[in-house]
Amino acid sequence: MESVKKMKLVIGGTAQGKLEYVLLKHDVQKNMVWDGVLPNDRELNGNIVIINHLHQWIKNCMVSGGCPEDEIMSFLDCNEDCIIICDEIGNGIVPIDPFEREYRERTGRILVQLAMRAEEVERIICGIGQKIK
Amino acid sequence: MMILVVGGSGSGKSSYAEKTAVSLAQSGMKKYYLATMQVFDDEGRKKVDRHRNLRNGKGFFTIEQPTRISGALEKMEDGDRTVLLECISNLTANEMFSEEQAVTEMQVTDNVIRDIKMLKDQTNHLIVVSNNVFEDGITYDDATTKYIQAMGKINQKLAALADRIVEVVAGIPVIFK
Repeated sequence: MESVKKMKLVIGGTAQGKLEYVLLKHDVQKNMVWDGVLPNDRELNGNIVIINHLHQWIKNCMVSGGCPEDEIMSFLDCNEDCIIICDEIGNGIVPIDPFEREYRERTGRILVQLAMRAEEVERIICGIGQKIK
Repeated sequence: MMILVVGGSGSGKSSYAEKTAVSLAQSGMKKYYLATMQVFDDEGRKKVDRHRNLRNGKGFFTIEQPTRISGALEKMEDGDRTVLLECISNLTANEMFSEEQAVTEMQVTDNVIRDIKMLKDQTNHLIVVSNNVFEDGITYDDATTKYIQAMGKINQKLAALADRIVEVVAGIPVIFK
């Protein structure tokens, strides 16, 4: 089935005002913000959903032995109408800890995949959005 | 033409740099990939394999050159060439920490920039991949701090040499110059 592109991706460094930016720009109910978790299908009732702190979900998913790459794409197959907010965590010194290294690398690659799928990608710096797709 | 490609871990900078090199190299032009990573373990081997697979079928000739990057010129055939150098973060670490005594950040900066100027002068197109290692907000030990300082200086000097600077963000090229 060909998916309708509706997902929006919002990325940027930590504490850049990404969630505030999204809430100001889009008419989304506050109770539709999911923090570091993906909602179950039945909880949505057709509302636009915001997934905040996707990187934390990725990390938790890895820790519990899941496959974040597959799980996020399966989620989007059912819930394309969403806004995903994720920290950019790859812009630093490569960590010594192997898990931290893998987490950064996989988060980066998941963002590449999500950006390809998104209808819009914005990068937030100092609360200001830069549309890069 | 010289292009500087920067990005973080998993940003898609390598993939973008390869595509750029392929599109710049006219037919008949030799394409060289200068690999700087020293492999010490399984993880390193996997990384190299992954990059090899990415390049597979694109016609790159690989030269392993972990230090003194201009030495790669001696291993190239005469004639027109497009060169992809990946990456400055490994090269800088190798130049800085291979000897028993760590080389100072000034010396490393001078060595790397001198070498890259030589490469630039003797290639039709040079694509240089570098990393954004600057934004994790962590205070590191002395050696790592000096490494970050050297990377910062090198990136600035590369930016001055480059005709085009591209930051790759989530696989999307953002043009700076």
